[in-house]
Amino acid sequence: MEKFKTISSTNQKAKELAQEGAEPWTVIVAEEQKAGYGKEKVSWFSPKGGLYFSIILPKSQIEDLQTLTILAAFIVAKTIKDNFSLEPLIKLPNDVLIKQKKVAGILTENIIGKEIKNSIIGIGLNSNIDEFPRELEKSATSLKIELGREVDNEKILEMIIKGLKEQLKTISQ
Amino acid sequence: MQTEIKIKNKIYRIDINEMAEGLLKVKINNRNYFFAKNKSGELASVDPKLYANGVESEENGIIYDGLAEKEIKSPIAGIISSIYVKKGSKIKSGQKIATLIAMKMENEIIAETVGVVKEVKVKEKQFVNSNEILIILE
Repeated sequence: MEKFKTISSTNQKAKELAQEGAEPWTVIVAEEQKAGYGKEKVSWFSPKGGLYFSIILPKSQIEDLQTLTILAAFIVAKTIKDNFSLEPLIKLPNDVLIKQKKVAGILTENIIGKEIKNSIIGIGLNSNIDEFPRELEKSATSLKIELGREVDNEKILEMIIKGLKEQLKTISQ
Repeated sequence: MQTEIKIKNKIYRIDINEMAEGLLKVKINNRNYFFAKNKSGELASVDPKLYANGVESEENGIIYDGLAEKEIKSPIAGIISSIYVKKGSKIKSGQKIATLIAMKMENEIIAETVGVVKEVKVKEKQFVNSNEILIILE
């Protein structure tokens, strides 16, 4: 696991490390992202308090990676539901919502030549974020806002990684 | 290293030399081809002119001209979201060519060949099929 206090984007870093030959299941986690992004490079609000991480995935079939992306949303939602008394909803394939507001986003990126060279999956979870800028207030929420208390980012990270490992093992068999 | 191989009754004389660190010259029947490791650690054909300064690529007046593919095709079907090269761009092996959105994922298409872009065959927001030509090289 590679931990950063500040990073431009964990997905960007994961892609760089993957191309330099980093091992599968290397996790890049940051306390804040200066240029976090989601689908089509739309920026992802990433202040301190949130959980931002990317995982270098083992070489897999593209169909399995698509399945994993969808399953990642289920894993994040299940982790929230099982550990906190909240009712998350999945907006397929990339987002997890609470009370119709975004609480987590997922972005899988592949580097492909003639075949897949590297794959990474990035997850941004609004965990301990106190407040959002005005333009995001109506569309984003955090676990802390919903629960009225802080959550343990490290434990959540551990549970999500475990879930992803189990699922990828199952689908690629 | 020198060797000979026989393919369909034709004998090819092969001479392999390391020209610079990580750059191999393979001479096949007096014709030179150059290879270097790309970012993924695989050997890919390169144009030594693009590869590095100071490499003795002009030896015998021969430069790489043979094995590079002249087309870059889309490995999967999807929608092109960004194109990073244009006519005249010099392309190296491992270079990002385009981003394609497919199967709910973002896919960076990288070159596995070298050359200069002659024509970009696709536009942003366009749907492409698997194996469709994206770029033609000179």
